[in-house]
Amino acid sequence: MLKTPGWEMMIVWYFFLGGIAGGAYFTAAVADNFGSARDGRVARVGYLLSLPLVAICGVLLILDLGVPMRFLNMMRAFKFWDPMSIGAWALGVFGLFAVVSSVLSFSTSEPRIALRRKIGLVGILFGFFLASYTGVLLSATALPPWNGGRLMGALFLASGASTGMAAISLILFLTGASAGDGWDRVKRADRFAMVFELVVLALFLFVLGSAGAPLVSGHLAPLFWGGLVVAGLIIPLVLELSLHGARATAAISPVLVLVGGFVLRYVMVMSVHT
Amino acid sequence: MARTLAMFTDTSLCIGCRACQVACKQWNELGMEAPEWTGGYQNHEHFTDKTYRLVRFIEEPKPSGDLAWLLMSDVCKHCAQAGCLDACPTGAIYRTEFGTVNINPDVCNGCRYCVSSCPFGVVAFNHETGTAKKCTFCNDRIHNGLGPACAKACPTESIQFGFRDELVAKAEKRVETLKGMGFKDAQLYGADAKGFLGGLNAFFLLLSKPSVYNLPDNPQRPQRNVVVDSLFSIGSALVVGLGAILAFRGRGQETGGGDA
Repeated sequence: MLKTPGWEMMIVWYFFLGGIAGGAYFTAAVADNFGSARDGRVARVGYLLSLPLVAICGVLLILDLGVPMRFLNMMRAFKFWDPMSIGAWALGVFGLFAVVSSVLSFSTSEPRIALRRKIGLVGILFGFFLASYTGVLLSATALPPWNGGRLMGALFLASGASTGMAAISLILFLTGASAGDGWDRVKRADRFAMVFELVVLALFLFVLGSAGAPLVSGHLAPLFWGGLVVAGLIIPLVLELSLHGARATAAISPVLVLVGGFVLRYVMVMSVHT
Repeated sequence: MARTLAMFTDTSLCIGCRACQVACKQWNELGMEAPEWTGGYQNHEHFTDKTYRLVRFIEEPKPSGDLAWLLMSDVCKHCAQAGCLDACPTGAIYRTEFGTVNINPDVCNGCRYCVSSCPFGVVAFNHETGTAKKCTFCNDRIHNGLGPACAKACPTESIQFGFRDELVAKAEKRVETLKGMGFKDAQLYGADAKGFLGGLNAFFLLLSKPSVYNLPDNPQRPQRNVVVDSLFSIGSALVVGLGAILAFRGRGQETGGGDA
């Protein structure tokens, strides 16, 4: 006799876009700090992508409230044990990082670039937080199957990183920058994230056990297996590994990864309505 | 903090008159709702944003083939470790000096996290006000020395209100009496302050297993998952982070034959 919170598409979009924002920022900061000068484009695209996404995230969260005008009441409390509370704070802090890093991504002066790199390293923490806390938030409820798997946050993080990288590589492709080796490195990092996500997903289902029935055998099952596992993870991985570097598949696999990331958030959020 | 106040609902005394349910509606001005067909006398099926007290009519099959008619007036448990309170990001849900759990309607912004965090499905969302609603133990009444409306209205003293320690002692005695009368499954639910959720400030005497009453056997604080899940998320971040660093670091190999 439990009650569901009635979270619908706005929350699904928020989880999805928040994952991309965190993942894109993380990819940008890694490219900025550990890549060569030729990866500069990856960094700039990643930083600049995270900014509008985090803004949309904020709007979605506010509009989903019962009383949107009271959204600032989230700042009345800081509960470190409560994902909803620290999540609201982290979203705001991450937004600041996205603004600063985006502004500095246009900078050409060495000291400012050095500053941007340092800021990026700290911002990664908040980006990761934004990508993963939503999974922990679902898990810290009284509702099965949300509360059954211990790896929802880990899974959302892997998916956030992967979709963030996919979004960057898609933008690089569409803007004609897909010939550079920055692009290859994003794709390489994304392949790794996808393989890792598959492993985490398998472990997640194992831990969830029979509580995972709404996902793996209920009405969401076709979407879960077809949309997430096959179309969102296995096909893009096969495309990437077998047709490595082929132009025809260059845009297909990131699009599929993004679709898979959306389906993941959708089936997870909706799995509580049975 | 004042002495903890509590509500003891002795289901063995309930006659299903629903005076409590009506008194609650009247005092708290909860308004009308369309009735629900539940296949029996119970209405509604569960707590709503306008039903804080609910008399459950439960038919339990007995070994003899008969049905036992179990009646239980259900209410918010005002848990000592309240999932809704821990989940509330605005601080709208707070604990009073009497140990009860309340929602401040002027602060709640309707995020609905409390709704999903209640192990008993009590907290409900009101679409008109956009805020969460639940029983307050009649906060206005108890602050003026009156008992909650439901307890005042109960004609059989199935619902008793008072200091928690006194009520628990009374309840324990009552269980022994009932067992002596042959109700061998008589048991207290939520009376033990060392038990689940630190004890319930609205606790019950049941005549059968909790699951028969649609109550969870061992409800847990939802927040217990946060630490482990966060650690796994950090582990995931480390793996993904290392993978990306390696992908961007290996530029020597990359130009050598990465995309051949």
